[in-house]
Amino acid sequence: MLYVELIAQGLIQGSIYALIALGLTLVYGLLRILHVAHAAFFTLGGYVGVMVANQTGSLAAAIVAAMIVAGIGGILVFRLCYQPILHQPPFVPLIASIGLYIAAEELFRIVFGPSGLTYKYAFLQGQVIAFGSLRFKEAEIAVMLGSAAIIGVLSLLQTRTRIGVACQATVSDPQMAESFGISLRKVGDINFFVGSALAAFAGVMVSVLNNMVEPTMGSVPSYKALAIIVLGGLGSVRGTLVAALVLGVVESFGTIYLGHFLDRNAIAFAFLILVLMWRPQGLFARS
Amino acid sequence: MLRLEGLACGYGLFRAVSELDLEIPRGTITGLIGPNGAGRSSTLMCVAGHVDLQAGRIVFDEHDIGGLPATERVRRGIAIAPEGRRLFKDLSVEDNLRVGGMIHKANLFKADRDYVLALFPRLGDRLGSLAGNLSGGEQQMLSIGRALMARPKLVMIDELSLGLMPKMVDLCYEALLRLKQDGMTILLVEQNTDRVLSVADHVCVLESGRTVWSGSAADARKDPELAAAYLGLR
Repeated sequence: MLYVELIAQGLIQGSIYALIALGLTLVYGLLRILHVAHAAFFTLGGYVGVMVANQTGSLAAAIVAAMIVAGIGGILVFRLCYQPILHQPPFVPLIASIGLYIAAEELFRIVFGPSGLTYKYAFLQGQVIAFGSLRFKEAEIAVMLGSAAIIGVLSLLQTRTRIGVACQATVSDPQMAESFGISLRKVGDINFFVGSALAAFAGVMVSVLNNMVEPTMGSVPSYKALAIIVLGGLGSVRGTLVAALVLGVVESFGTIYLGHFLDRNAIAFAFLILVLMWRPQGLFARS
Repeated sequence: MLRLEGLACGYGLFRAVSELDLEIPRGTITGLIGPNGAGRSSTLMCVAGHVDLQAGRIVFDEHDIGGLPATERVRRGIAIAPEGRRLFKDLSVEDNLRVGGMIHKANLFKADRDYVLALFPRLGDRLGSLAGNLSGGEQQMLSIGRALMARPKLVMIDELSLGLMPKMVDLCYEALLRLKQDGMTILLVEQNTDRVLSVADHVCVLESGRTVWSGSAADARKDPELAAAYLGLR
């Protein structure tokens, strides 16, 4: 039963990783740049979430507000930061992205203070739901179900709607997509909006789980998400999902069996190195 | 319909085509032929809006479209089936066609798809297959079909027969003749000069980015020097 519980805990952690890493994959697939500043939207989501929740007492309102604000922020970053330098060599947008992330972290510290914010209301805390002998916090169940629902809906939208097909075509061959009238800017807007909104949802859920939002809460997820998209095969949505869940489970087992001499994050990166030694292109490299 | 006036195009400082003059009348097939590196594909990509126009004018339906982005040119009626086909390989055949018709309303999709399937019945059995899993001939059909979904006035096809089985080439050329009967204007880049001359009304021969001969396909066949030097015909 320990194994089942470890797998379940790993999947919960993995779904949070998946939400953050999906946005990175969407951006990489479209623009071929590593959007390090993506983690800032995870933190932004947490801050907007805690402020709206404390004002309204509604977690649903907090989630919606966080996703909308982060989504709009994502579009602004695309248009103001990346679009003007897309014709430059890839390291230029990468450096801009790192700078943007550092600036965002400092901005959060200046605006909200260094010590972090907490929820006034106890959302999804304290209650425990049992499946057989497995016990979870309500928040953990919410993370799992919320992630599955959002990713499922996104997947349907991507395959069943014209705009979803247009986005897939653009990621596959941007120039040809333009040849058929698809605007790269619109697809960029959509990818940045959706990716940033997903990160914000993860930010709210993590802040609810920990009852804490702080300026540096995006640091670990930022490099963990980069590791996940490399592990999944850069640009592969399916690979990102699988890699995120696998990494969550590996971390979960690793902390029990290797935790006495390796930190949780060290376990994750040791796993990344081992996988990349076996498959340098990642688990699901794009064709 | 399409007039290239002193067209020069290329990539950055590199000039692939210099001073190309070409007139393509409505409802005709024009063959653009010449050796590798002559600038044929660059010309097509420049007309489509993907290669920098360095000098000259691109006049389509009496409008200078040289400054328009690719997204606008397809709306004006120019579609391309590019070299290497460049299909969206992770999408199904049906979704590739859907992307081709993206500039039109969704309710037109079925009729346009049926037109393409009537032209290329083989695609009808493969609608759910990924484009990347099709044979070379089927991919070429899909590439042309995707371009037709845009309801273009002019369709540009690059290297139609390259790497295809003769039977597939026959099917594609039959489709071109049907398109011409339906009033389509076609600009065709092709290595196989015999094939081009069998369907084209006009021919333009390029070498090193310059026009070396231009005229009717019938005259091209009759010109012994041209046939020997550029067309590989004796």
